[in-house]
Amino acid sequence: MDAAVLAIWVLRLIFLAILYGFLWMVVRALVRDLRSAAREPTIELGRLVVVASPSGEPAPSAVFALDAITSLGRDVNNSIVLEDEFVSATHAALTYRGRAWYVEDIGSTNGTFVNGSQVDGLSPIAFGDEIQIGQVRLRLERARA
Amino acid sequence: MAGTTSGSSGRGAQPSAGRPAAHAYPVTGSAPSWAGRRLGIGVALGRVSLVLAFLFGGLAVGAGYWQVIESSNLSRSPDDAAVIAAARNVLRGEIFDRDGVRLAWNKRDQNGEPYRAYASPVLSGVIGYASRQYGPAGLEAAWNAQLSGAASADPLRDLTRKFRADPSEPQNLKTTLVLALQQAAVDALGKNRGAVVMLNPRTGEVLALASTPTFSASDVANPKTAATTFDKLRSDDRLPLLPRATSGQYVPGSVFKIVTSIAALGSGAVSPDTTYADQPTSERSGWPIDGFRVRDGHHLVTGSKALKFREAVEASCNIWFAETGVRTGGAALVEWSSRLGFGSQIPFDLLTKPSQVTNGGGSLGGGFSDRVELANAAYGQAETLVTPLQMALVASTVANGGVMMRPHLVLQATGKSGTTTIDPSVLQSVVAPGVATEIGAAMRLAVSGTIGRVYTNGAAVRGLAVAGKSGTAELDPGSSPHSWFIGFAPYEDPQIALAVLVEGSGGGSVKASPIAGDLFRAWQAWAKR
Amino acid sequence: MTAAPPRTATRAPSGLRVVGREARRFRVTPRFRGRELGLLVLVALSLYIGAISLGATERFRAAQLAGGGPFDMLTPARPELFAIYIGALFAVHAALVVAGRRTDQILLPTVGLLGGIGLLLMERLPQSLAGSLGGLAQTQLIWLVIGLAIVAGLATSVRNDIWLRRYKYTWAAVGVGLLVLTFLVGRDVNGARLTLSIGPLSGQPSELLKVILVVFLAGYLSENRRLLVEESTRIGPVRLPPLPYLAPMVAMWAIALGIVIVQRDLGAALLFFAVFLLLLYVSTARVSFVVLGLVAFVLGAGALYFLFGHVRTRIDIWLDPFVDPSGAGYQVIQALHAFARGGLIGTGLGAGLPLIAGRPPIPALHTDFPFAALGEELGLVGILAILGLYLVLVQRGLRIASAAQDEFRAILAAGLSLVIGVQAFIIAGGNLKLIPLTGITLPFVSYGGSSLIANAVIVGLLIALSERTREPLPPPRRLGRIRRMLDRGAA
Repeated sequence: MDAAVLAIWVLRLIFLAILYGFLWMVVRALVRDLRSAAREPTIELGRLVVVASPSGEPAPSAVFALDAITSLGRDVNNSIVLEDEFVSATHAALTYRGRAWYVEDIGSTNGTFVNGSQVDGLSPIAFGDEIQIGQVRLRLERARA
Repeated sequence: MAGTTSGSSGRGAQPSAGRPAAHAYPVTGSAPSWAGRRLGIGVALGRVSLVLAFLFGGLAVGAGYWQVIESSNLSRSPDDAAVIAAARNVLRGEIFDRDGVRLAWNKRDQNGEPYRAYASPVLSGVIGYASRQYGPAGLEAAWNAQLSGAASADPLRDLTRKFRADPSEPQNLKTTLVLALQQAAVDALGKNRGAVVMLNPRTGEVLALASTPTFSASDVANPKTAATTFDKLRSDDRLPLLPRATSGQYVPGSVFKIVTSIAALGSGAVSPDTTYADQPTSERSGWPIDGFRVRDGHHLVTGSKALKFREAVEASCNIWFAETGVRTGGAALVEWSSRLGFGSQIPFDLLTKPSQVTNGGGSLGGGFSDRVELANAAYGQAETLVTPLQMALVASTVANGGVMMRPHLVLQATGKSGTTTIDPSVLQSVVAPGVATEIGAAMRLAVSGTIGRVYTNGAAVRGLAVAGKSGTAELDPGSSPHSWFIGFAPYEDPQIALAVLVEGSGGGSVKASPIAGDLFRAWQAWAKR
Repeated sequence: MTAAPPRTATRAPSGLRVVGREARRFRVTPRFRGRELGLLVLVALSLYIGAISLGATERFRAAQLAGGGPFDMLTPARPELFAIYIGALFAVHAALVVAGRRTDQILLPTVGLLGGIGLLLMERLPQSLAGSLGGLAQTQLIWLVIGLAIVAGLATSVRNDIWLRRYKYTWAAVGVGLLVLTFLVGRDVNGARLTLSIGPLSGQPSELLKVILVVFLAGYLSENRRLLVEESTRIGPVRLPPLPYLAPMVAMWAIALGIVIVQRDLGAALLFFAVFLLLLYVSTARVSFVVLGLVAFVLGAGALYFLFGHVRTRIDIWLDPFVDPSGAGYQVIQALHAFARGGLIGTGLGAGLPLIAGRPPIPALHTDFPFAALGEELGLVGILAILGLYLVLVQRGLRIASAAQDEFRAILAAGLSLVIGVQAFIIAGGNLKLIPLTGITLPFVSYGGSSLIANAVIVGLLIALSERTREPLPPPRRLGRIRRMLDRGAA
């Protein structure tokens, strides 16, 4: 066996080894991400209870778990679809920021109301507050533990 | 501004029916109509990712197959780019005959690139050629990896090949051939198309393997003359490039009776004393079977005598063998033939075409279509096709007490790192020694008996006890028959077995038997040395 | 109820727009990306070692030809090429750090390693094979750097996906237009009409088409997935989606067949159709649709086999390339030989791929057979690692999809990552004779600008889509409130 050839082979094998080192680190990162995603259950930040819904869609007293961003409106692509004549296609959005909920009207025709007063721009909203969108009334509640 | 508004929210004013309901899953309350169905994208994504992982697993298995299991086969094959590239600057190993006579060596062209030269055109059918343009053939192809240095003599060195500065290790081959016998075989065949196989029945070493017409392998290997030579050879309708001894398939005629004998006596279907009462009476008009008549040509000589086994071989009695074939049965005939190597490639240095007893697929045992085909096959007609190498092995098996040795062409391969020696090995114990002795005695009678010597005229050699069997392969009416001889010598202690085939030679076995005689004499001369 | 004063805002289909608009209000704060940095250092190290091993091999050969003697062991081959490439990788990393988004940190290093391996391969091949911009490796480097710039641009700036989801039919029209244009004015290369030249620029539209296709499918399927699973049509035991919704799918199938017939591009057709079926499954979870699609595929493929010579040739070669080893089956057989020569640990970079009369045994080595070339030089060990890298990309992309906030983003991310995975499978499988060989590129590794740029777009979008917005948003700042009051006053 030739010393020079062996030396080159050492380089080649180191190259292959680093490829596997990279792969190992990446796979470890993937697995860690998957584990941490599995460990923390989908944090329920809050829920919306349907108080009144004349059209029946959503059904009265239905409860929706909320994501950090929840969109409401009549379009099917909203997180919560409200079948009501007076609801715009994209009506309002609920966002969880810092440690509080905010509601925002995102271009509705008929406006969004919290406890009876119309919302303008991004406004904070507390648990127990009632949101009115068209004829649908919804109550923000604390998530159950 | 107003226009934008009405445009953007206009849909909201129309009551719409049949829209699907809320998006997020309700935690409680009445579920919408689709809620019972699985709609989770997450589940589907998980399955898709499993499918992809499975597909990639398939890729890994495929890569493993080509890179590990098939690796040495493919990377050493003569078609491999690295092997071809190496041929341009690596000197191939030389090839010698068993007595050390150089058969193949290297020359260099004006660019300093090597090319091959050969001792004689008589070797063309066995050594083949190694051409830069047309690749290798024959022994040059079969042992290309060793000759070109792609494989090492020492298996350990093969494993560490990658760690060497100069990994190639061309090996020299010492073959089992005898150039003088090879020359004698080609000379004896003369202008005929044909083939000769001579081998040692005790070891399987092939002493001569000739096919005619021959060609100049040196001209094929020489880059200057390669193109014109090769084009001419390819268009030659005498097919000089066909290695007849291993790849030519011929109707065997009466030499096949030895195969039938092995099956019949080996299976116990007949004994050496078996006679058929209707055989003498049928000699004149033919033996009837299922509306066909098996004809014979020797009724004048044997008269009204019912023949036993040895006499039937000596007289080459078609009717006796037809009846024996039917009694043995198609299944047994095919099974015993396959023990002799029929129906599959014979393991040999060179590629071989398989020999066959029948086309197969028929309803009768062994795949014969009917009893007529079986009766005809038993004396070497019908759909029976054999290679000269196969028939030489039949003779060799009889000579070696029923044991077939593995035929081989190379004794030693010697490289820098050592020598690989190929030892004789048994390919198959075909039949009991007693049966082989009985058949050998019959073959001896066929050469030396008063009736037999008429058929094998010219095969007998002064001072050498030759045993053998001649054959005439009847082809389509109008084309002249092939002439065959298979045999061995000396009868008491067989040292040489051979098969001679002369294509379309006309008139009975007049051609093959004298050629066999010449070759036995040549062998005698070589062995006495 | 009285109507509120109309707003000028466009009708955003979801709350995402809010995020985008809101996010811009915050100062961009650089965010340290430790995992990405660590992996990139490893990438740089491996490319450095790879370049040294390649350089040493080349100099050792030269020394041997000159009759032996000492040679330089530790200088990389063409160090400037690799320095520029690694520099570009770190520049993208810096851009992502400055942008400060919580995006994926694995995609960039993985893609960077694959691109680097491709660059090593291009540097190792005869430079005269291709390359209008100064040799094979140099041209590839230029395209790689452009691709990395695209990754950086998309990953840092794309926050809003309306321009993708809104105009899905526009995108589809652009795609079909590209296809038609290629057919009308495209150039034929190797019997396939793949290349479109506009002035000095030329490219392969099917590479861009695959991105457009995924964008369209994501838009279409996310909107209609609920309707697709409502069973309203039944033919015997087979459940079909409502017939009007079937039309775009039939169109997809027809487009795939059209690509085969008109462009003679089997690889792209296979890729499009496979990705389409996978996305259909992802969005509907209906195996029956996939089965239906496969049946249609088999019927279509069967008809193509009997009607079109070029399809038949491809499949016959696949079934038995040894029928014509020096003609039709030549490339496939040579690829298998290359894998076989590599064996377990390969021949080493620069030591394989024997030249016959100054040319590599496979003419299209740099575009269609880089996997075989890597199989020879890096061995089974090496290509298993490379397959692993592709699998990582796919798994990561699908993970981004399953963490996406809505269905459009989920299907988009899934589609983009599946395009890479399926394409890698099709060409690697073709090289290994597992499936018929098609002329498609190995993503990030194969030589070619169109392919590198299209795949860069995919990676850039994936990184942008991976932003973790499930995390609670930061509270609105006081300044914002004041400004809102001012805004209100102005209105």
